[in-house]
Amino acid sequence: MASILRVNTLTDASSGNSTAMSTINQGTAKAWINFNGSGTIAERDSFNNASITDNGTGDYTVTITSAMANVNYAHVGAAGQGNTALLCLCQNFDLAAPTTTVSRYQTPYVNGVMLDATSVNVALHGDLA
Amino acid sequence: MASQLKVDTLTGVTTAGSIDVTGEGNSTTTNLQQGLAKSWVNFNGTGTIAARDSFNASLTDGGTGDYVLNFSNVMSDANYSVTGSSSVLIGNFETMFVPNFKPPGTETASTTSAFQFAVLRPSTTQPYDVPYVYVQVHGDLA
Repeated sequence: MASILRVNTLTDASSGNSTAMSTINQGTAKAWINFNGSGTIAERDSFNNASITDNGTGDYTVTITSAMANVNYAHVGAAGQGNTALLCLCQNFDLAAPTTTVSRYQTPYVNGVMLDATSVNVALHGDLA
Repeated sequence: MASQLKVDTLTGVTTAGSIDVTGEGNSTTTNLQQGLAKSWVNFNGTGTIAARDSFNASLTDGGTGDYVLNFSNVMSDANYSVTGSSSVLIGNFETMFVPNFKPPGTETASTTSAFQFAVLRPSTTQPYDVPYVYVQVHGDLA
């Protein structure tokens, strides 16, 4: 049977490593994803991800299931592609400002030209709605 | 009234590896296990590489700007998410963290116990050692 435990602080049995529930809430990623952004894009694994959209070469939209409380959450990410393609992962605010559920990312090569990445990784930290 | 729970291990009732936590807005739950980083490290990538602090991670130096992160507790598959960044102490050298990339230009595959990553200088596309490298991993533990 499912149960709910209401508690302010978790501490190990030796009274060490005391952690407030607020720290656990704030310290856990609210969403993450690893997907192949080359060809027909495909998620490898994710948490709280609703969908990924291919907007064109090196241009993706990630939509999460449970919304964030505001648009001030942190985006951390990295992208890679084989051979010599050194790709950045950018959240282009001017192109598409993030919403509480949708973020758009691009993977440009170092010369600024968009390239599809075989490994796109994003994690979101912030407040859930 | 404030309360404190003393416990060494938390286990879900319905599913042992799944515990929900109420989110900050009090209207949504998030999954504790899925949200937790399964590994992280802050290390000096110059000279004899050395972790300043870490969790579930040991490092192998594969050469200039070329590193492997090894897990102590392995992942359940190789589909985990790797994010990271890097920086230099002084100067204007830009840096780039690239997962699954072995210099000078080979794509590498993650495994349940380790993955390759590189730190490169974008303007030259060459790998180089930097003093500050930060990595975190999200995914499913075995």
